[in-house]
Amino acid sequence: MSSRQSRAQRRAAGGIVGPQSALTDFLASHNISANQIRLDAEARRRAAENNPSGSGEQQDEQATVPAAETAAATATADTQDDPASTEQLGRGRHSTGADSQTEKQKKAQKVIDKIKASKKFQKRKRKDGDADDEDDIARAIFQERSAPLPGQMENCALCKKRFTVTPYSRNAPDGGLLCSRCGRDLDPDDGAPKKKAKRVSAGAGKRRQIQSKILDGDYHPGAKSLMTLCIETLAKNIHLAEDLNNLAPQVIDKIARKLSKQRLLNSTTLNLFLQPSAEDVFIYDAAKLTGDDFIRIFQLVPGLRKLKICNAIHFKNDIMDYMLSRHINLEAFYLHGANLLSESKWKEFLEKKGQSLRSLKVYWTDKHFGDEVLSHLATACPNLNRLKVSHNQRVSGEGVKAIANVKSLQHISLDLRLEVHPDVYVSLLNGIGVGLQTFSLARVPDTDNTVLDAIHNHCRSLQKLRITDSELMTDEGFVRLFTGWENKPLLFIDFQKCRHLESAQPRSNPDNIGLCSNGFKALMAHSGKKLIKLNVHACRHISAAAFEEVFSEEKIYPDLVKLEISFCEEVTDFVVGSIFRSCPNLRELNVFGCMKVKDIKVPHGKLLVGVPTANGMVIDGDD
Amino acid sequence: MATKSDGPSNSKYITMVSSDGFEFVVIREASLISPTIKAMLRNNFSEAKTGRCVFPDISGLVLEKVVEYLYYYHKNVNVPYVPDMEIPVELCLVLLEAADYFQLDSVTVGTAFRSMGDTLKF
Repeated sequence: MSSRQSRAQRRAAGGIVGPQSALTDFLASHNISANQIRLDAEARRRAAENNPSGSGEQQDEQATVPAAETAAATATADTQDDPASTEQLGRGRHSTGADSQTEKQKKAQKVIDKIKASKKFQKRKRKDGDADDEDDIARAIFQERSAPLPGQMENCALCKKRFTVTPYSRNAPDGGLLCSRCGRDLDPDDGAPKKKAKRVSAGAGKRRQIQSKILDGDYHPGAKSLMTLCIETLAKNIHLAEDLNNLAPQVIDKIARKLSKQRLLNSTTLNLFLQPSAEDVFIYDAAKLTGDDFIRIFQLVPGLRKLKICNAIHFKNDIMDYMLSRHINLEAFYLHGANLLSESKWKEFLEKKGQSLRSLKVYWTDKHFGDEVLSHLATACPNLNRLKVSHNQRVSGEGVKAIANVKSLQHISLDLRLEVHPDVYVSLLNGIGVGLQTFSLARVPDTDNTVLDAIHNHCRSLQKLRITDSELMTDEGFVRLFTGWENKPLLFIDFQKCRHLESAQPRSNPDNIGLCSNGFKALMAHSGKKLIKLNVHACRHISAAAFEEVFSEEKIYPDLVKLEISFCEEVTDFVVGSIFRSCPNLRELNVFGCMKVKDIKVPHGKLLVGVPTANGMVIDGDD
Repeated sequence: MATKSDGPSNSKYITMVSSDGFEFVVIREASLISPTIKAMLRNNFSEAKTGRCVFPDISGLVLEKVVEYLYYYHKNVNVPYVPDMEIPVELCLVLLEAADYFQLDSVTVGTAFRSMGDTLKF
């Protein structure tokens, strides 16, 4: 029926043809009319629309149906074809077929009348203002209601994907239909899949979080402490806190650490830590603070005695000037990353305020903290007992020699970038080795046995010893250091990466360079009883036999809490088991890169970090 | 604990009393997590004899939360994945004070490690 009509119409339209798609051209060349196909489909659709009319209409009315979008979509699709067909379609919509035309028209009129009486119509009418033709509005609503029926294709209202409409297709919250997937996600009753997915992801996140904590070294099985819980809650709601007046200093310090870790310390939150009665101000992350904030520290805390500022980029000369102008005599000064402070200002600080200074720690300075400043220490700071210069690019042997004149020093920690000859360290130890409790040299590839011998000869009260990355010290030197040494057992030893480096023949070590078997045995014989932390990371020439002897059945190291033996190649499952047997209070054992450690049962409450298992890098003893 | 004598000194439970008179009966084992309470229940202090610990500085509201924590900790000893206990924001600061008072700061850290931290601290 309509096919004949449309062909006639098309001819009548007088060859006014819109842009045609390649497919239409192709079909036309095979004597198939794309338009014809479309119109036939329309006709079928209309038939389907009218047949189950009663129930269909009801359904439509119940669900506040259909999408203006849908109507619009069809409309645009239509206009792509020639205008004639659009016209045809428009007409076809209301006047449904030639045969039952009058009947259908009546029906449609009925529905339209119904619509006119409905609330929706009234609303629309009000909204559109005085749209003169009521019929037009009613008809528009009628068209909207003729939603795609089952079996038709439709675009999903949410994901815009094309899908086939079924009787089960759900309505989108703001009009249109949803594809089955979106419909499922929408369903409030059927929440199971969503929840499940959530739980799984939470578990995975948790495991990673715990592993990251283990690697950070602050993991404990069981619940967090109440204080930690409170501090975490506080950090989340720090904007609500007004002051921390009643809290103990160590609690405030913990809060400061937590806030800094989350980068929450700024000009506002800094006020929480600046109490007039305080003596200590520890700022662990000052990256967001400005010069004015630093000045405020000195204004608000007149009794300041210990000051620690990390990432103190804005700690400049004028701030130092301000501090020098106040009656503040620091006992401990810790400054990290203050690159803009000039050398002359450092000297001025030491001259004016050095009298009271007992601890000075300077980290990460490029150019302005050098030999001259260190040479001032002896005269300016008679009470200095702790000195740390870390990541420094300026201090050379001259400065280190000058440190030897500061007789009050008990703790020295150096991490310098310029090369310093071992003789300089020897003269330093000659000068003040007797009283030293801490001696730490980080990254000193050129130091040799002379330094070890000097330690052996001069140090009598050492507790903490660190020498890392030495490429010249030999096993013999370590043996000499620890045998017959009149020093009490050490508490902390770090000989990380003191080993032979030769890429051509990595396995052979004819001169026994680095900490090897004998040195390790001597070390444990001397200090094992009291040792708390031991780091022999990458001392790879310690043999399995030496480990087995040191951690044999009858030997107990009661205080050892943390042991780092990563990249010691000879460590086996048996050695690890022996270590757990010999160290009852061990909390953490690091075995990264120990490839012979394969299958080990970890005792309850201990951590074995660095085993490459499928589970991840960490085994936490849970049996 | 002592096993010979009868009465409250070796009861399985102790009583914690807040400043406003609220009483909480707590399993002794759970309460011993706090070094402060542990010290109170040692030797011949009156608390040890009566099994009754009075905290005149701590309100019932806060003590309730502390007791809740003691049980929460007790229940989760050595459990690898422990969900955090909910801390009401408005109680956060008072609870911090209480945590400091009950020394519930780093319960699980070994004593040797802690003393080490002290000696080497800045």
